[in-house]
This record gives sequence, C-alpha cells and structure tokens, in this order.
Amino acid sequence: MTTLAATLPRTAPQTRLLGASLSWWLLIAPAVILMLAFYAFPLAEVLWISFTEPEPGFGNYERLLTSPALQRVWMTTLRICVITTAITLVAGYVVAYALVSAPPRIQRWMFVCVLLPLWISVLVRAFAWVTLLRSQGVVNEALVAVGLIDRPLRLIWNEFGIAVGMVHYMIPYAVLPLYASMRDIDPRLVPAARGLGATRFEAFRRVFLPLTKPGIVAATVLVFIFSLGFYVTPAILGGGRTLMVAEYIKLQILDLIRWGVGTMMASTLLAAVVLVLAIFARIVDFRRLFGSRH
Amino acid sequence: MAALQHSLTVRRLAKHYGQTRAVDDVTLTIGRGEFVTLLGPSGSGKTTILMAIAGFVQPTAGDILLDETPITPLPPERRNFGMVFQGYALFPHMTVAENVHFPLRVRNVARAEAERRVAEALDLVQLGPLKDRRPSQLSGGQQQRVALARALVFQPALLLLDEPLSALDKKLRAELQVELKALHRRVGLTFIYVTHDQEEALSMSDSIAILRDGRLVQEGPPGQLYERPATRFVADFLGKSNFLEGRIIERRADGFAYAVDGARFLQDGPAPPGETVLIALRPEKIAIAADGEAAANTVEGTIAAWSYFGTSFALVVATGAGTFQVTVPAWRCPVEPAEGRRVRLAWPADASVPVVPD
Amino acid sequence: MDRSAQAGPAANVLAWSVLLFLLLPITVVFPLSVTDQRFLSLPYEAPSLQHYVTFFTSERWLTSTWQSLVIAVFSTVLAVATGTLCAIGCWKLSTRLTDLVRVLMLLPIIVPSIVYALGIYRLWIRLDLLDTYLGIILVHGVTGIPYVMITVSATLANFDPRLEQAARSMGANLSQTLRWVIMPRVMPGIASGAIFAFIHSWDEAVLILFIASRALFTLPRRMWDGINENLDPVMAVAACVMMLLSMLLLAGDLWLRRKRDE
Repeated sequence: MTTLAATLPRTAPQTRLLGASLSWWLLIAPAVILMLAFYAFPLAEVLWISFTEPEPGFGNYERLLTSPALQRVWMTTLRICVITTAITLVAGYVVAYALVSAPPRIQRWMFVCVLLPLWISVLVRAFAWVTLLRSQGVVNEALVAVGLIDRPLRLIWNEFGIAVGMVHYMIPYAVLPLYASMRDIDPRLVPAARGLGATRFEAFRRVFLPLTKPGIVAATVLVFIFSLGFYVTPAILGGGRTLMVAEYIKLQILDLIRWGVGTMMASTLLAAVVLVLAIFARIVDFRRLFGSRH
Repeated sequence: MAALQHSLTVRRLAKHYGQTRAVDDVTLTIGRGEFVTLLGPSGSGKTTILMAIAGFVQPTAGDILLDETPITPLPPERRNFGMVFQGYALFPHMTVAENVHFPLRVRNVARAEAERRVAEALDLVQLGPLKDRRPSQLSGGQQQRVALARALVFQPALLLLDEPLSALDKKLRAELQVELKALHRRVGLTFIYVTHDQEEALSMSDSIAILRDGRLVQEGPPGQLYERPATRFVADFLGKSNFLEGRIIERRADGFAYAVDGARFLQDGPAPPGETVLIALRPEKIAIAADGEAAANTVEGTIAAWSYFGTSFALVVATGAGTFQVTVPAWRCPVEPAEGRRVRLAWPADASVPVVPD
Repeated sequence: MDRSAQAGPAANVLAWSVLLFLLLPITVVFPLSVTDQRFLSLPYEAPSLQHYVTFFTSERWLTSTWQSLVIAVFSTVLAVATGTLCAIGCWKLSTRLTDLVRVLMLLPIIVPSIVYALGIYRLWIRLDLLDTYLGIILVHGVTGIPYVMITVSATLANFDPRLEQAARSMGANLSQTLRWVIMPRVMPGIASGAIFAFIHSWDEAVLILFIASRALFTLPRRMWDGINENLDPVMAVAACVMMLLSMLLLAGDLWLRRKRDE
C-alpha cells in the first residue's frame, strides 16, 4: 500500500486525460511529420507554383483553353485512359469470373498468373513489351517467319503499344476487386434464377452482373486513376510520339524548364484524380477498403 | 492476508459521451475484503464504472479513491489492480505459464522468485499440469482460471472481474461460481464483479449494487435486496415479482391496509406518503390456502395456466385483484393444478413489500 | 456448391488467354537474356551466359545494383518503423482525426508519382538533397509508408483490443505493451509491409528520374536510360536480376502468409 501511495502523481485529472492518448499520438507523430514535410508540403508547393510562376494569376490555366497542344495532350490522355479502362474491365471481369468458378487447385494457379505481374517492375514489363513488339521484335519476327506478313507491323511507339502495355499493367488491379465482389455472391442465386426459368444469359445479366456492381465500380476507379497519371509505360511504349499528360509534365520540367505549365498540368492531373475519387466515393466505401474501423 | 485488503470508494462518478450519460453521479463504497457485484442490464453503466476503476475510462466528473487516496489520475498500469476480462484476453502467442508470468516480467521480478510465484498462482487455480499449453488448447473454464491466476499473481490491491463467466455454459457457470467464491475467501482480496446475471450476483456477492441507465438504484447484501427491494425495477430485475397497485385505506402503528379493485390487503411496516401504493409480492411467498384456513391476506381466483418445473409448479391465477404469478413447491401443492380450478391464495402481511414505482 | 457450372467453356478459354497475355512479357525476358548474339534477340544457336558475365563484371551495373540495394534497405527501415507505429497509434485511438491521418498516409498511392516528383524535385533543389542517398532514402521511405500502413492495419483489424488493456492492467507500460504484446501479434503484417516497401523502392522508376542524376544511378534508372538509348542484351540480364529479387521476396511473403494461417 505504501508503495502505491508513493507512486501517486500530483497531477490534475485533465493532464492525465491528455496524457493517456498523448503517448499514442507520439507513435503517430513521426510518420505524420515525415508525410507532411516531405510529401504534403512539396505537393502543396506544386499547386502554389502553378498559380505564381512565371507570374501570379491564372495565366497557366488559361492556356488550357487557348493552347491546342495542351488540349491535344489531354484528349490523348483521356482517350487512352477510357480505352484502357474499358478493355481492362472486360478482360478482368472474365478472369475474375473464371477465378470464382474454378476448383481450388486451378484457382491457385490462376491467382499466381494474376499476381505475378504485380510483383514485376513496371520498367521490366515495359522493356519486355518493347522487345516483343518492336519491328525486329519477337512478335514481328515470328509472324514474318510463319509467313503471315511480309513487312513488320508497327506495334509500338504509337497508341496501340501504349494500350497493350497499360492494359497489361492494369488487369491485376481490376481482377482483385472484381473477384472480391463475386466471391461474396451466394453461389445458389444463379442456379435459382435458372430454376425459375431464366436462360444462362438472362441469369447472368439480371442476377449476377448487378450483384458485382460494387466490384465493377471499384475496379473502374482504380484502373482509371492509375491510368491518368501513368508515366513509365506510356513514355517507353509511346516512344515520345504519343504524349500523355505525365510525360508532357516531365518534358516541361526536366527538358524545357517551364515550371508554370508543368505544375499547372500536374495540378490539373491531381484535380482529375480527386474528382474521379470524389464521384465514386459516394458509391464505394473507401474507408473500409483502407482498413479504418469506422 | 488482511494486509492486502483495501477499500474502494467511487465518489459522484460521471461519464458522459456527448449527450449520453453512461454513468450519472454514482457514489459507492466497497469495504475491505468484500465481494461486491455491479449488477444491471446492458447499457446500465456497470462496465463503464469498472473500466473507470481499472483506469481505462477517464471519468467526466467525480473521484475514485483507494482507501483514502484518490487514484483517478493514475494510468491503468500504475493502479496495481488485477483484472479478468470478458473473454479473458489471454495472450495467444504465450503459453499458460508465460501469460501468468507476464505481470512479473513487467515488474522485473527476479527469475527464481517469479517462477515460484507463477507455480503458486497456477496451483491456486489447479492448472499446474497445463502450464506449457497455449490458451487455444484450453477449455473455456481453464482459460478463465488462467485469467484469474494471471490477475492474482502480482498481488494486486483489488480484483476486477468483467462478466468472467458469460462465455461458459450454464452448468460450468454454476461450478465456477462456487470456485470463485471459495477463491475469494482464500485470497481475501476485495473483488469487484460485473455481471448482468442476477443469479450469479445473488449466489456470490457480499453486496450488490444495482444499476440502471447509469444510475445506482440500490445497494446492499443480496438477501436485503431480494427481500426489501426499494423500487419496482429492483424487484423485477432481481427475481420475479407480482405488483399490486393499491389505494391506502387505513394507516396503523405497525402497518397499513390497502385496496386493490375492491379486495382489501394488509401490509406490515410504515406506509409510504400519498394515497396510492405499489406492493411487490414474490410468487414463492404466496401459498394456496386450504378451505377455512386463516391468513392476513387472501384472495380467490381460478387457475388460468400452469406449468411443472420438477421442484415447483408455476401457476397463473386470475383473481378479482388482478392476475397473480404463484410458485408452489411441487411436493406440497395442496391441490392438483388444472385450468379453471378455483383456488384461494394467501400470504402474510410481512411477505410483501412496498416499492417505489419507476 | 457447384460453381464450375457457372463459367462456360467460352469464358474459360477467354480467361486463360488473358492469363497467358499477363505472363507473356515475363516469360520472354529470360530467353532474351541468354542470347548468343550481340544484339537483343532470342538465342540463334544455343543459350549463352556471355551477357551475364558482362553484367557481373561491369562496374556501372554492379554499382547501380549496390546503390539500389542500399537505398531499398534504408528506405524500408524508415517506412516500416514510422508506418508500423503510426498504424498502431491509429488503431488504438481510432478517432476522426486518425481517420484523417490514414487518408494522409495513403496519399502516395493515390497521387500520381509525376505530380509528387515535381514538388520533391523543387524542395530537394532548395535543400541541396538532389542526387544524395539521404534525399532518395527519404523519398522512397515516405512513399513506402502506405504499404506498411495497409498491411499492419490489416493484421491489427483482427487484434483484440482487450489484449492491450489486459497488458496495461497487469502493469505493463506503453513500451512493454508494444514490445511484448502488440508487436509479436502484428509481426506478419510488418514483414509483409517491409517486403512491399522494399520492392517499392527497388522498382521505383519515376521519382528517381527527378531526384538523382549522376552520383546515384539506381538499377531502374540505368535501365530507363538503356531502353531509351541502346537496347543491348545486358538490359535483359538486368531485368532478370530485378525480377529475381522480386520473385524471392514474393516467395518470402507467400511463405509468411502460409505460416500465419497455420
């Protein structure tokens, strides 16, 4: 008892109230400080520069309306993103669908095929596509050798090459949320619909497809957002001839040193990403996706 | 053993979460070496009070004192209270012995001394042979004993128990109630026990505090609470009760008379102020009287329903003064229960008790 | 139940074609790396290890590999240390403010790298951290935090908060509770997070273009230059080296997961 009494601090309850959670906040602090100082702050500075250089005002943003070059970059980006997202979603849906219906042993191998590319450097993958698709590449040589074509096809350094590389990169990101939503569907529902007289296609379209909507939405957001700001694959497979936003920004900063236009395009890109997220946040519970308990 | 005993005082304790008052101005004194139960339905604030005593909940107002010393500002790890959690909270990555050793490890107790005390604590709960098992390899009852050993091994000032038996089946629960009570006598510590199970509270406690909506309703030894419930809530929550709403028609020195729908009944003790009175009457205190047998209170009725429980019959009797729940010992039931049979109910004037309606 | 009845043969054929498409670029890299030719092609006569010899005797490639390893190791340590503590703090406090912290920590995954690259390039010019180990490790460490946050938070989601309270009630202070109760339980999540953070740094190819130039040339940085300038077969060897490390880590992660499920 004496020992206990001796340990009693002479502090008011209020100090302790703060003290109890203070130590937990101290655990959070290092990461928050790092993230604010070396992530959020430089990010904010990008926004700031876009309004202040070369001179203060909305001058950089006005170019969006006046410069055909900038508009072309955005149109190219959006076109490629929409095409990529559409193809990725269809391919991802088919894979996810096969995944849920596969027996466990085969399912494991399919999973390896889906996850393996995720673990390979995007640079290595882009390099591999170059070696496959260029005019002296594996695909063209094979087609010529078989005699299907006389001259190599132009498969790279154009939008086709970019789309191939991007779809390849994005498919795993589409498969995972789609698979998660399909796995939660009661497997008796489709047989039940068939039992009620629906054809195979009707049962899919009226029962299965609507139930996978959350997965479709999540996959669309993920793929579209990643595509918008994608740099490595479009830069390499586009070969400088097809410019998407990210590479355009890099050129402005590192080669032309036009900070105003570069940061304006970066800010617009960020705004586009946030906009897409905001629209879809109403449909999908992102907090659950990110492990919050609330 | 007496040296380990401490009293605990909860003084005007309040805990508000926004507009919700989880605990609202509760004052409670727990005597040295007592086994006190905080009893109430879910949401009554009993667990919040226990968590405030343990130090996991910081009160909005009020104080908690160990003996005479305020401990409210102390963090849980410096209060030196043993605690048995609901679901036990055993560390799954440690063996039984490692779990029990944990409080000694954080106190840097020397190895030999620690080993001796762990063995002692495990013996106390008869778990010595299982010391190398993992919690997942134990039954519910065994896990509960590990939790007890772990909470006692560091000679805490108090033992706090948060619904420690709620996860177990009924028969095991009854056995462990007896064990817990014996353990309390053996270690002599002050126990503070939280439960929503009234049978547990009645069978183990020296004293029960009944809580409702964050407020303390009544406090006292189990017998007193059962025999003399202060409010309708207590009479209803602790056991079963019939309630008679009457009008006082006569006041005497040692009691009063009241009327319920024309029937006239007698009640011992002082009459409450006002014209109306609410009387609580336990079903087992009502007898079925033989014809002509005299009693302070009698009322005639017909059996509306009945069921057999082996030891007793439970009857529902419709009378002119309302419907009565009656429990009579099966081996001494003077009439064969049958629906529609007329019976005469009787109870003495000290069998019932006036309660505060709430 | 009988799910196999759902996917028809057409769907299965389509699915497997997509899966083969996914594997195609990975499978082509190794044959290219053992070509017997002096230019990038499949082996004509017989596989040859000549380009591996070139890679492992070239000072430029070895330096790059070493620099990549050093940067990845230290940035992983940074990400794991701060990210783990942050995840534990957010889990325990779980208030509206910590939800905001979680969103902040996930920014690097949501925000396109190119946007952040501009900001950090500018800041590093001012702080004179361009082309330094410290500069790159900080950047890779900070952008690696989200991976650690996600994996550690996932393991904490299954962690009974009463275990922490139990430790406290028995007299353990915060540091003892962390070391003896919380850490051992979330170790698998920390290990997964470390692997992700390592690979993130090892493969990172966008930020490095901005914040490193001459003194520090990571493996991805050298590959980037190689792809854009001369496609020589050593590139395929470098790609194989990068893939090999990722594969080893992936195997490690799978092994950890299996162990956790036991």
